[in-house]
Amino acid sequence: MAPQNVSRPAPHSDPPHPDPQHTDPPHSAPPAADPQRNDPRPAGTQRPSPVAGRRLWAWLMLPGILWMAAFLVGSLVLVAMLAFGTTDPLGNPRFGFNPENIAALAEPAYRSVLLRSLGYALLTCLICLLVAYPVAYAIALHGGRFKTLLIAAIVVPFFANYLVRMYGWSVVLSDDGPLLRALRAVGLADDGTRILQTGGGVVAGLVYGFVVFMIIPLYAALERMDVSLIEAGRDLYGGPLRTFFHVTLPATRQGAAAGCVLVFLPAMGDFVSAQLLGGPDQIMIGNLIQDKFFQGQNWPLGSALTMLMMAVLFLGMLGYLRRARKDEAGAVR
Amino acid sequence: MTLRTEGARRARRGTDRRPRFALAVTVAFFALLYLPIGVVVLFSFNSQKSLTVFKDFSSRWYEAFFRDQLLLDSLGMSLQVSLVATAGSLVLGVALALGLVRSRDRLGSLAGLIMLIPLITPEIVTGVAAMLLFKGMGVPLSTGTVMLAEITFSISYVTVILRSRIAALNPEVEEAAMDLGATRWQALRLVTLPALLPSILASAVLIFALVFDDFVLAYFTTGVDPQPLSVRIYSAIRFGVQPTINAVGTLMLFGSIALIALALFIPRLFGRRGGIDLLSGK
Repeated sequence: MAPQNVSRPAPHSDPPHPDPQHTDPPHSAPPAADPQRNDPRPAGTQRPSPVAGRRLWAWLMLPGILWMAAFLVGSLVLVAMLAFGTTDPLGNPRFGFNPENIAALAEPAYRSVLLRSLGYALLTCLICLLVAYPVAYAIALHGGRFKTLLIAAIVVPFFANYLVRMYGWSVVLSDDGPLLRALRAVGLADDGTRILQTGGGVVAGLVYGFVVFMIIPLYAALERMDVSLIEAGRDLYGGPLRTFFHVTLPATRQGAAAGCVLVFLPAMGDFVSAQLLGGPDQIMIGNLIQDKFFQGQNWPLGSALTMLMMAVLFLGMLGYLRRARKDEAGAVR
Repeated sequence: MTLRTEGARRARRGTDRRPRFALAVTVAFFALLYLPIGVVVLFSFNSQKSLTVFKDFSSRWYEAFFRDQLLLDSLGMSLQVSLVATAGSLVLGVALALGLVRSRDRLGSLAGLIMLIPLITPEIVTGVAAMLLFKGMGVPLSTGTVMLAEITFSISYVTVILRSRIAALNPEVEEAAMDLGATRWQALRLVTLPALLPSILASAVLIFALVFDDFVLAYFTTGVDPQPLSVRIYSAIRFGVQPTINAVGTLMLFGSIALIALALFIPRLFGRRGGIDLLSGK
């Protein structure tokens, strides 16, 4: 009647050290039918076999996995396939094998849009870094008890509707908006200076949209950093700049790299910023894709452009992962 | 003389010296972060159509919004989509997250990889892909297709948020329940899920807010009528000044803030820690 396991402490009090008997699955238990159900004997002697447990986890995962396989993986495979497809006379997409769309990507018009998108996205990353480092530094190292509050104050606007934020930003940047008026007042801009309808406007929009993704990982890295390192740098008579470049920057390099990936990915795919803040000659690859799917009705070409963008991003990710692995290897050494 | 050496020594001690440059950038950053939002809120109360000159306070744009049947239909549709997507993604996502953490087999690691796809793919790609999938299956784009696409996207968020929470749970409590005679399923239902409830509720609120505000996926998967509110806003702001949008935007802004506050507050309501970390769980 008294099974050996009953002597274990009550479930509420966590045992301070793991009980080996308890973690070991009973090897002798028959893996066949569920022994617990309809078992009149006091429980505890036999636990459900580990095989049955694993089956439960598999059953739990199955609907979600099937859903994601169908709606996510399946749909992405369709895009890849349609990149080789054609359009029938009615404008409906047809799958097939037609290298034309892929070949069309080499056209100078598309190449220049891709290069511009890359340039804007990289510039966005750079500006985000330049803005986010001081902000994350000031909050993480000098935020005191307001740290969490300040970070929340940065994250909360990010949850506001992206379009409404971009719309407000376009009002701020407009020709008679508050920013240019202030700049004119202090003599940093003249009457002809514009931000909207320029490449600068597009990048400003991308920075405003995604700078949070840079601040959060940088803040986390600076928080984790050993502050005594900075003090040591100062003790060795390093100036603030030297200390920053030789101590702080290397210590938080991984956070910066993660932030760059998190900013670069959405910046490359964005089409709202270029539409609201740029002119027709500042379109990015996202605008091109949008146009092929909505106005141009050339879905195969749109798919090919989507795949091109994914390929570029994949190469970037690959580079990031290799660097990250090297960093890890260096840290272990 | 002594003052200066004292100051110099303190400066050398490093972190307690105020980095004036960083502080200046931070102040400017916060100003620019809130200026656009402030402009939208302020000019939603403007009596004039202008977005640059504020005349006097009026609620006419809010009244215009509540008289605009198209916008109200969109609001209703967005609420519907958010509710369904939250419920659907929670059912699938919680089960998936449990399996991902507890199972150690290949199915789990494969699923873990799939879950990462939406997080490392620009939304326009998943949007285009979903549109193509529905069109390829001959399903006309509608409210239903927006719901399906948003569920797919939200499952990833649910699993990302809940995975660390589940991993932090003590599995021995579950095993203790089984020692006391519960089946694995009973232990899960009676012990694990109640322990996860605060996190589940908090992520539900967060998912609701994210789906409600989502634009790109909704834009690619919506039919003609009704359209989600964010898509309606998009077509409105592409064609010049629309003061009504300021009113809608202001309402959405405070709605989102209220939801995030709620999401952060829920775990405290249950008298224990274990909610969502705004920093780690996006």
